[in-house]
Amino acid sequence: MKALFRINLILSLLIALPLVVHAQDSRLQLGSLDHLAAKANQTVDVSIDERLMKMAAKLLSDKDTDERDVKKLVEGLKGIYVKSFEFETEGQYSAGDLETIRTQLRGPGWTRLVNVTSKKEGNLEVYLLFNGDMVGGLAVLHTDLKEFTVVNIVGPVDLDKLARLEGQFGVPELGVEKKTKNEQ
Amino acid sequence: MKDDYLWDKSGQPDPEIQKLEEILGTLRYQPRPLELPVSRRRSYLPLLAIAASLLLALLAGGIWLRTRNQTAPQPREAKVISTPSPIEEKKPEPKIIEKPVAPQEVIAVNNKHRHKSVATALSKREREEALLAKQQLMMALRLTTEKLSLVHRKTPNTTPANQIKNQHRVG
Repeated sequence: MKALFRINLILSLLIALPLVVHAQDSRLQLGSLDHLAAKANQTVDVSIDERLMKMAAKLLSDKDTDERDVKKLVEGLKGIYVKSFEFETEGQYSAGDLETIRTQLRGPGWTRLVNVTSKKEGNLEVYLLFNGDMVGGLAVLHTDLKEFTVVNIVGPVDLDKLARLEGQFGVPELGVEKKTKNEQ
Repeated sequence: MKDDYLWDKSGQPDPEIQKLEEILGTLRYQPRPLELPVSRRRSYLPLLAIAASLLLALLAGGIWLRTRNQTAPQPREAKVISTPSPIEEKKPEPKIIEKPVAPQEVIAVNNKHRHKSVATALSKREREEALLAKQQLMMALRLTTEKLSLVHRKTPNTTPANQIKNQHRVG
């Protein structure tokens, strides 16, 4: 009987191990937000997995300072996923949409670092996933009356490097920022 | 006489029969205490085999699901979709705005010397894919830094990086 119990225990642990590992995965499931694209007047949908990240990194030059910084930042990252919706009118996304993301961010390992609430800018939350002492992922959740944005970086992200990139490299203008400024 | 001996052991025994008796006597029933068989150990091998099979099936299933999720066709192009506002009724269909290519990327495409080794390593299709991935990457990083700078503006004394350091101090 004891032997059977031991076997069961070992089996349970072995079965639970991949589930635990999966739970520590910092990738968020953002598929549930896809229906918002139909309501949005502007949608940004970025999905870069590890393979694409490596391919993109090959094209980043070591001679160009900005690209070198980006290259250093993305080294070791396993993916970057972004979903951003801008709406013409208010109340296009539901509390349930927000909850699907927040529920995942309440999972084990995730820590909310910042929560900024502003009448103008809306609600901005920054989360980090810790695997022990190591940062295993980043999530930024920005919700405004007319905007819903989730950024999810999977892998050991260096926030110092990320902060240094701010406004340094020539990324194609999407009009997102311009519009926000105009609205302000 | 001899027959009587065989019947009830009376009378003169036949020497040949006596000899036979001696030989076969060793195999005679000898009373001894009953030895009950000790409880046999139950074999767990079938159970173990079933459990191992189940475990293997579960692990294989888990690995398959994981690899399927990883290799699932991802949108390879960053989409910036613009739907018309209700006022603009002339354009009922949502249109996809082509992203302007950053000058750096044009340089990356045209400057053969710069990426000579990369160009030889990647096929044309792979290169196109990598360029798209690079555009996506830049876009994602731009959006991320925008949001983080917004946080920075709102909380001027604390950057997320500082917060991590502080957390370590507290923790």
